[in-house]
Amino acid sequence: MSHILSILIFFPLVAGLLGFLINQKSIRVYGIAVATIEFLLSLWLWFGFDGSNPGMQFQEFIPLIPSFGINYYLGVDGISLFIIVMTTLMTLLGIVGLSVKKDLKNMIITLLFLEVAMVGVFVALDVILFYIFWEFSLVPMLYIIGAWGGDKRLYAAIKFFIYTFAGSLVMLVGILFMGYLYYKTTGHWSFALTDWYKMVLPLDLQKWLFIAFFLGFAIKVPMFPFHTWLPYAHGQAPTVGSVILAAVLLKMGTYGFVRFSLPLFPDAAVAYITPIAIIALIMIIYTAMVAYAQKDMKQVIAYSSISHMGVIILGTFAMNVEGIGGSIFLMLSHGIVSGALFMLVGVIYDRRHTKLMSEFGGLASVMPTYATIFGIMTMASVGLPLTIGFIGEYLSLAGFFKVSPILTVIGGTSIIVGAVYMLSVLKKSFFGPITKEENKHLSDLDLKEKFALIPLVAIVIWLGIYPKPILEPINTSTKALVAFMHKKAQTKEAKATIHVSKALKEIKK
Amino acid sequence: MQSYLYIALFAPLVSSLFAAIFAQQKKIQLVGIITSILIALSFFASVELLVYLMQTNKIVHATLFDWIVIGDMNVKFGFTVDHVTAVMMVVVTLVSALVHIYSNYYMEHDKSFNRFFSYLSAFVFSMLVLVMSDSFLGLFIGWEGVGVCSWLLIGFWYYKKDETRDVNPSISPSWAANEAFIMNRIADLGLLIGIFLIFWNVGSLKYNDFFAAIPNLNHGLLVAIGIALFIGAMGKSAQFPLHTWLADAMEGPTPVSALIHAATMVTAGVYLVIRANPLYSQIPGVGYFIAVLGTFVAIFAASMALVNRDLKRVIAYSTLSQLGYMFAAAGLGAYWVALFHLAAHAFFKALLFLSAGNVMHAMHDELDMFKMGGLKKYMAKTYLMMGIASLALSGIYPFAGFFSKDTILEVAFNEETYGIWFVLWFTAGLTAFYSFRQVFLVFHGDERFHELGIHPHEAKPYALWAMAPLAVLAVIAGFFKEEFVEFITKFLPPYEMSEHTEHLVWFFIIVTMGIALTGIFIAYKKYANGLRRDPKVENSFLYKLLFNQYYIPIFYEKAFAKPYKELSDIAWKEIDQEIVDATVDGIAKAVEVTGDVSRRAQNGNLSTYLKWMAFGLIFISLIALISVVVK
Repeated sequence: MSHILSILIFFPLVAGLLGFLINQKSIRVYGIAVATIEFLLSLWLWFGFDGSNPGMQFQEFIPLIPSFGINYYLGVDGISLFIIVMTTLMTLLGIVGLSVKKDLKNMIITLLFLEVAMVGVFVALDVILFYIFWEFSLVPMLYIIGAWGGDKRLYAAIKFFIYTFAGSLVMLVGILFMGYLYYKTTGHWSFALTDWYKMVLPLDLQKWLFIAFFLGFAIKVPMFPFHTWLPYAHGQAPTVGSVILAAVLLKMGTYGFVRFSLPLFPDAAVAYITPIAIIALIMIIYTAMVAYAQKDMKQVIAYSSISHMGVIILGTFAMNVEGIGGSIFLMLSHGIVSGALFMLVGVIYDRRHTKLMSEFGGLASVMPTYATIFGIMTMASVGLPLTIGFIGEYLSLAGFFKVSPILTVIGGTSIIVGAVYMLSVLKKSFFGPITKEENKHLSDLDLKEKFALIPLVAIVIWLGIYPKPILEPINTSTKALVAFMHKKAQTKEAKATIHVSKALKEIKK
Repeated sequence: MQSYLYIALFAPLVSSLFAAIFAQQKKIQLVGIITSILIALSFFASVELLVYLMQTNKIVHATLFDWIVIGDMNVKFGFTVDHVTAVMMVVVTLVSALVHIYSNYYMEHDKSFNRFFSYLSAFVFSMLVLVMSDSFLGLFIGWEGVGVCSWLLIGFWYYKKDETRDVNPSISPSWAANEAFIMNRIADLGLLIGIFLIFWNVGSLKYNDFFAAIPNLNHGLLVAIGIALFIGAMGKSAQFPLHTWLADAMEGPTPVSALIHAATMVTAGVYLVIRANPLYSQIPGVGYFIAVLGTFVAIFAASMALVNRDLKRVIAYSTLSQLGYMFAAAGLGAYWVALFHLAAHAFFKALLFLSAGNVMHAMHDELDMFKMGGLKKYMAKTYLMMGIASLALSGIYPFAGFFSKDTILEVAFNEETYGIWFVLWFTAGLTAFYSFRQVFLVFHGDERFHELGIHPHEAKPYALWAMAPLAVLAVIAGFFKEEFVEFITKFLPPYEMSEHTEHLVWFFIIVTMGIALTGIFIAYKKYANGLRRDPKVENSFLYKLLFNQYYIPIFYEKAFAKPYKELSDIAWKEIDQEIVDATVDGIAKAVEVTGDVSRRAQNGNLSTYLKWMAFGLIFISLIALISVVVK
């Protein structure tokens, strides 16, 4: 159990390499088997995780370049735990639902490598290691979009790569400078995140470093106005690429905010709340409008992701347990729901080879199961209580309400604009009479698709009704995070804004 | 007693899930029967709870498990049955059970019979969560749940195509469903803001914690919470300006209109105000606003009902109007009066809708009353039921509506809000007129349906039997007013009339009955002996204004829906693609171009290199020279 995190990273890596030796015919079974084992391993991690311990667990530490303080340093807490589980789950379901015929073997191996990178990002506690995984994750996705994508796949893939890479480079400068600062203050090098946490920086330095990290994360999220790579990437990517991109890769950005920006630069984070909140509001409303204007079903979901990420950003910068915890929960729920929605779009694309909503209409009559699952996911997406989508959205908004009621009222329109574009998708594609001859005899979900989608439906409802198993560890770690930020904050403004929950205050007394 | 609570709450859920198993299959009669039995079970459990509460006066609590626990947010699935809840539960489950039974008849030929019962039971479950929860967030679960069920049921015949407003003012079922959902969402944001305010200022979302904390909260905050919650109520109860969805919601099957859009869901807003009475009694200013808005909606909706030809829309407007009465009472602080009218209204309005359902079946889904007439000969029992319901709605003694509506008028007088009194009094006359205009147009006069080749028939006996309890209640419910007051004022604040008002009771009865009877009389004169249409009236500005719902739906479309769509297109095509993305590509282009230009510097030609070297040398020497000179 003590090396579970290394196993989680290296098992898909080794399995991916061995995959080259596997026969083309059995590669699908092989891929599913590997992804299932990886998923079970992550469940085992969850099983062994102590939900009442707010700190890092299952830590592993192997010095790599001791003279520069670069180490193989892993750990997991309540914030990253479930993102890891979601990563392995979505990879598994992505492989199960895989419908590509071309080069299936390469696709599965690529997905396994991608899984390595994604898990690595969320368990790395050494910043250089984090950065390596962070950049490494671009390569398989570049390949997935570029090799299996649509007509404009090269443009989309290169745009995705260069755009996010450019942001990451700025972050790298920030990382190196931060390491240098650590060296200057302590006399030795370290890139261990836990060491960095202890560093208290003056506000102006915090602000510069915050911006450097911000650029890296913001492009990944993606935040307005750095979001335009996303519609192209989704538009061209094959279904599985979109599923992983929306479910996991975007979360790397918001995870970065929680893991790095908030605890490392609490004063700067508080100082920048208003501009960031305004960007988040633009994301929520503006991209929801853009989503409503789309003619392509997949683009609606793509833009809706940006809109939901806006709510996550609001929650993250709420600076209280409710908001930050809610934003982490929303990361998970958005991963599940948007992943499912992309799979659903893939289902109809496989049948009709178009995603234009004007080509559909009346699908509910011919594909009732498909329509039902689409409806459930729509309701989760618009944040209906007792589905997974409500809790995160509600908590993020509730948390930010403490910071600014007025901005929250504006941000709260997400529950309206979200309903507008999602219901219009339903109306255009699923309701009304069947107008196109081609749609009259479409087959409903097949077994493979059901296997991929029904678990997600179950999760959406289960965690909507009983989120406690997930919310509890998140609560524990977030409380510790907020308390830590409160302690570390220097400016009066930050001390006042970072809101330590009452329950914790009482314990301290 | 907790077990009764759980039976009442979860029987509808079981019922819904059971029907859902067969949702995609062909009609199974058993699904209709079993769901009806389960809802009836829920009703009996609710009655049991009510009786228990009457006998012991003990409030029943039950807590299931944690829902959202993080930071200071601690929300459990908690339920409570107090006096208000018990009344609501009995009303909701009774009407639901009868509507379930009736639906076996009404939906008997529908290919999605099983699916219908699944949705309908899911609605009952959501509605019970709404009324039984012990916290605002629990209420919100039910609140959104009934919204979704309403959406599903309005859009039940989703496969119908969009029409223009001239052909079908509701456009299509799926359009009407989306309108209802989105409009409710606008209001829900208000409710959500109210919840946030309560959470951050009280630290708990439980009703009791909040009510206990009210004395410590400042007045401005209470006003803010009161307004926020009421905005939520305005959406669910379709108060102006969020009212247009209710009339369009008539696209749903008629039992749905009876249950959701008349008897239960639309009264959720009134329930919220009654529930939050400790709050609203502290902020009479907001209460007064609620009363004024309710009064306005009462006459506003009634006016639209005067001219409409659509059987169901007339009833929808009358629902809207009666909701206005309830808000007027609640806003003036007479919470029990509002609840009493809510219950009485649920009975006679459900009856009215189900009667309309019988008529629709007989008329092959024709809704235009101008094409009906003379039906009493063919469906005497339905005529009787609709007559009873209309008498109750008009507030004629001794029917239920008389007792509840008359009390509301007394309250308005007693509060010295004579304007409100007068408008509500006048509206009572309008109500009587349009109700009986409807009765006479449908059942009296010449038989205009023969042109359509329709042979009307009476509904099946069991459908009529399902309506019978409602008919009985519409007649007798008013006589239990004393008992009701005694029971409910153990929980709700009593409302005492001043002596002055007490003296005038007989005067009120005569005046109110007078205007109601006048309304019926005019309707009789005009419509009972056949339809005589007057093109001059129908082309008049006022008639058209009323007929087109004051042009509000068109205004909303032109002022909000269309600009939003256009703005969205601009956001996508003009801003996102032409500005934001073009900038990104522009930067990439600039890099490419500069790279391309500077590439020429390295073309491998030695003489070019030497030339550049010479330039460089001269340039550097020049700078060195200048710097020396300047120094």
